[in-house]
Amino acid sequence: MTTPTLPALRRRTLLKSGLAVTVLSAPPIVSARGETPVRIGMVNPLTGILSALAASEVEGARYAVERLNKKNGILGRQVELLVEDSANDVGTGVQKTRKLIERDKVDVIVGDVNSGIAYAMMGVTNELKVFHIVPGGHTDPITGVDCKWNTFRICNTTSMDAAAVTGELVRRFGKRFFFISPDYAYGQTLQNNFIRNLKALGGEFQAELLPINTSDFSATLIKAKAYKPNVLLNNMGGLAQINCMKQFTQFGMQKEMALGGALFELESVRAVPADAQAGTWAMEWWWDQPNVPEVVSYVADFRKATGKTPSARHWFALVAIESVRLAAEKAKTMDGPKMALALEGLELPPEVALSAGKAYYRAGDHQLMSDIFVGDMHPPKGNPDNVFTIGSIVTGEKAAGPVEATGCKMVHPA
Amino acid sequence: MNTATTTTTVPMSTTPARPWLTGVIIWALLLSAPIWLPMLGGYTALAGRVLVLGLAAMSFNLLLGFTGVMSFGHAAYFGLGAYGAGLTLKYLAASTPLAILGGVLLGGGLGTLFGLLISQRRGVYFAMVTVAFGQIAFYITYSWDSLTGGYDGLRGFARAPLNLGFTTIDITNNSTAFYYFLLIVFGVVTGLQALLLASPFGRTLVAIRENERRARFLGIPIERHIWMSFSISCCFTALAGAMYALLNNFADPMGLHYSLSGEIVIMTVMGGMRAFWGPLIGAALFVVLQDYISSMTVNWMSFVGMIFVLVVLFFPRGLLGMLQRGVGK
Repeated sequence: MTTPTLPALRRRTLLKSGLAVTVLSAPPIVSARGETPVRIGMVNPLTGILSALAASEVEGARYAVERLNKKNGILGRQVELLVEDSANDVGTGVQKTRKLIERDKVDVIVGDVNSGIAYAMMGVTNELKVFHIVPGGHTDPITGVDCKWNTFRICNTTSMDAAAVTGELVRRFGKRFFFISPDYAYGQTLQNNFIRNLKALGGEFQAELLPINTSDFSATLIKAKAYKPNVLLNNMGGLAQINCMKQFTQFGMQKEMALGGALFELESVRAVPADAQAGTWAMEWWWDQPNVPEVVSYVADFRKATGKTPSARHWFALVAIESVRLAAEKAKTMDGPKMALALEGLELPPEVALSAGKAYYRAGDHQLMSDIFVGDMHPPKGNPDNVFTIGSIVTGEKAAGPVEATGCKMVHPA
Repeated sequence: MNTATTTTTVPMSTTPARPWLTGVIIWALLLSAPIWLPMLGGYTALAGRVLVLGLAAMSFNLLLGFTGVMSFGHAAYFGLGAYGAGLTLKYLAASTPLAILGGVLLGGGLGTLFGLLISQRRGVYFAMVTVAFGQIAFYITYSWDSLTGGYDGLRGFARAPLNLGFTTIDITNNSTAFYYFLLIVFGVVTGLQALLLASPFGRTLVAIRENERRARFLGIPIERHIWMSFSISCCFTALAGAMYALLNNFADPMGLHYSLSGEIVIMTVMGGMRAFWGPLIGAALFVVLQDYISSMTVNWMSFVGMIFVLVVLFFPRGLLGMLQRGVGK
């Protein structure tokens, strides 16, 4: 009887195979082309706890670029989207931003979902004078005390979201809140803004700041249970928020307190049990607006193209790409400083604003003023994505307050 | 006469020329990187990243490759160096040399103090304590929000132009000038490391690595040497961290995280821990792979992992160790 032996993989064979793979996978040398496309670089956390939100933004941007290229692109040039993974790590996000600007020579940077990364990327884009759109990083200083001439933001600030929903939560459930927030730029500013609004209404609170990628919330939920709040505000993001929701229902806490907060996005709602699909929340955009024909048309077209219902993240990305076009067409150039001036005060057309109210970039802080939808989350009704019912709409201006209150002092380059 | 000459000539061995040749090739590539790198789809900041992480891995290798002691927490000194530089620039003075000094003092100083506590430990105990210290430093940086910026990192500082008295070099806006500044610092530090390893002190470290018991019987104060090696390694690693902060104009707590410590180990082993330039080769491979493959797939770390496994299985001396051996054949 002979023992079967595996063919030995020799070192020389490995070297030859490695060389062949390297040659085959090497990037082709691209010769100069007559018409250079407009290059948009997107940095987003495709890995890590915010990956579902980032994937939606990338998908929304791809859809928007495809739609734009069918309509002659930007200034008659086709648009090319380059996507890099920031891995939910600030250092990597900074590195990828430099890579897109220095190697790929992108005209515009878009990103990041993670507020801390978006905030850090602003340092690079401002240093290298590149036009930068933040679609989904909410922390206030981006269009507040650290606002920059080259940066525009689409999603709301945390103070806008908190201002839109706090009053409703107090009115419906009571003044005793327990906060669970992530310990980084977004969570800190959001919690502080909620607390400020709550104190103004005479409320009381207890709060826990947890690492951004926390997966076990049991200790914090026990504290919340003991505090007996009227509302538990789950400000965590992405997978962390989903895990917190699952544990909340496993503890049976939904019978003891209401749920609520600033953001509970469609991507996260889909991933939690029906018991946790509850509470009063703010939505920055919602797909079900039957009275707005542009929204109906966009949702139908998006579903046809991707087979999915668009979320707020898809809309952020659409606005980001379309804003590049609008700024370039108004400025008649892809020059960053001129595009920035062109976008200031610019009102989005209805097929981009996708809301009943008007949406425009405020000149003083470069923050998009758009409608905020406050309403109730519930298990799906018919359509699996029909999980939210709009109760009221708060305008962006009302939630944001005056520019002076943001601390932004906009300085344009000479 | 001719016959006598022929018979007494000994063919020159290639062995003595090899380290010299490796050094020349590496320096030629580094000096000309801003010219050839863009042609291959690279960019200057990438070369800067290779230099910084290569310096960190070479500094770490003083401990692992030349003293035979394993630290799994070297990212702590790298990150502390970055914060030292960033805090100096932000709160003390807009001076790049002072920032580097600040980084070395913070990372190297804490490493020196910590080394005093652990130089008695060996093997897995030494490695575990270094991980523990690394994580303590990580969580302090993460939690001390008011000073370090917490998870979001330290922003609001930028490297300052170099004032040499007779002229000012703009390393703030000129990326090529900054790359050559990094290269000069890299050259000075690697020169110092080479001198150190060629000195009696360096030979003693190798003796400890080869046979600690025999070295002790020879009367060598082992603990003191390990402490000094650890301390020097931490100082150089902190310097690399300070350069990293200057490269990005930014410092974040992930620079102290144990995952970066693991990456430094991977770079060192992949490149070859018994070769002086090995960790630099490992860092170049790691950084380029990360940059290139991460644009194509989010699973880029799987590829690095596979390459690491293949290197360990087939080239236990690392890539440079294998290449030098190949040339010698």
